[in-house]
Amino acid sequence: MSQRIANIGEAVVSAARAAAELWMVYISTLAGIWRAITRRKAGRGRPKGELVRQLHAIGNRSLIFIVVTLGFIGMVMTYEACLQLSRVTGDYSQVGPQYIRLVISDFGPTLTAMMLATRVGAGIAAEIGSMKVTEQVDALRMSGVLPIDYLIVPRFIASVVMTLLLSTVACLVMYGAGGLTAHYSFGVNLNLFFDVQLVRMRHVVMMIVKAVSYGAAIPVVAGFCGLRARGSSEGVGWATTAAVIGSSFAVIVLDFAISAAALFVTGGDL
Amino acid sequence: MILDPVFEALGAAALRIAQEVGGIVVMTAQVVRALVPPRIDRRELVKQLYKMGNRSVPIVVLTAFFAGGLMTLQTGPFVKKLGATALAGWGAGYAVLREIGPILIALMFSGRVGANNTAELATMTVTEQLDGLRALAIDPVRFLIVPRVIAMLVMLVALTVIGDLVALTGASVVGRAMLDIEWSTMFHSFADNLRPYDFLHGVYKSIAFGGAIAVSSCYFGVTVRGGAVGVGRAVNAAVVAAATSIMLLDFFLTYLTG
Repeated sequence: MSQRIANIGEAVVSAARAAAELWMVYISTLAGIWRAITRRKAGRGRPKGELVRQLHAIGNRSLIFIVVTLGFIGMVMTYEACLQLSRVTGDYSQVGPQYIRLVISDFGPTLTAMMLATRVGAGIAAEIGSMKVTEQVDALRMSGVLPIDYLIVPRFIASVVMTLLLSTVACLVMYGAGGLTAHYSFGVNLNLFFDVQLVRMRHVVMMIVKAVSYGAAIPVVAGFCGLRARGSSEGVGWATTAAVIGSSFAVIVLDFAISAAALFVTGGDL
Repeated sequence: MILDPVFEALGAAALRIAQEVGGIVVMTAQVVRALVPPRIDRRELVKQLYKMGNRSVPIVVLTAFFAGGLMTLQTGPFVKKLGATALAGWGAGYAVLREIGPILIALMFSGRVGANNTAELATMTVTEQLDGLRALAIDPVRFLIVPRVIAMLVMLVALTVIGDLVALTGASVVGRAMLDIEWSTMFHSFADNLRPYDFLHGVYKSIAFGGAIAVSSCYFGVTVRGGAVGVGRAVNAAVVAAATSIMLLDFFLTYLTG
């Protein structure tokens, strides 16, 4: 019995320690951005062109992946919605306006971020994890460079910018794919479908808030997992796994928290 | 020509994708062949079932709870505005059982179990443990891969069933706590509007997702090249392949079976 309590206690302590470390990584990243803006310690921050390289790696190279996966899920969603309506009322006039409202305020940014958490999160953790186990991170620290400034800050900025842009693209792709599916499978009039009367400013604001939060969470969680990698190839594998699961879960929890907060702010009229 | 690099890049990408798809198909064939006659290492199978199934329950339960709650959050206010709270369970339950539940659980499963499996197999490959097995005349496919594929198939289905239940609970809890929808209203709404087929639709999708996750994670695990960097890259490739195939399979299964 006491062994069991000891196990639980150990798990709690290590979880609390990990949470504190994660928080430290987040704060250090924000501090690193501040240093980069104010140009203190000039020349010691990130290497030249690193931000552009990260923007390309995180954004451009995810574009096809995002367009394909979100396009298909957009088709599935309208198909399911129309199928269900065809059994009940057969009135498709609300499908399009409701769909775009849901896509903008929730599905677009959240599913994009789930996909980016697997692709970008795993990539960041694998890269930083391999640098950690081959002692390149220690080498950075020895040369007087802060690993967080050098490794995580460019990825953080790139991820925030690119999650927002990719979410916008994803919303458009989902909307287009959904509209074409509704038109060709159920004969829904395209003018009736592409009707944005239900979209309010608050939905767009919610999309921006969500996309920025997810974009900030993914590189911090993944970078934290990468910096914690121990041992050799096995450690890198563990770090990558932890990054995927941690950043996906962070996306779901943030989605829930932001949606619930929005519900309270708007007084039950989401 | 100015377009030459573009064509080169396209051709290289096409060749790479063809190579990976071919490798995955060959691995599937090897797994199927190893199942006839079914000689499976039972100890390894039980170990994998426990590791992949039981230990994934917490993350699946948490994910499913939030997913169900989110569906109520998104559909609830609209339903309430129309005064049709009896339909709240319809929207949330239908979305959870047929789409969001199986997809989100499969994505989390791919992150936790698929990625972990790739990392493990890749580490064994780069440390030449697979060659060691072959030197002892043990077939790595039969000994390592078949139990993992079976365990992932079985356990994703089991976790999806659990997750569906938890997601519906989450939908009811959020409905009660944030939108003042009574438990009984929600329950009757589920019972009246959802049919057994909606549930089964999600379950058989999860069989396909489990197969896709299993085969792609094993394939990228055993074909890894080069040290710690290679292991990280293999895990990355495996989760991306799993996520893409989940979305594609979801579309085709929905479209073909309605």
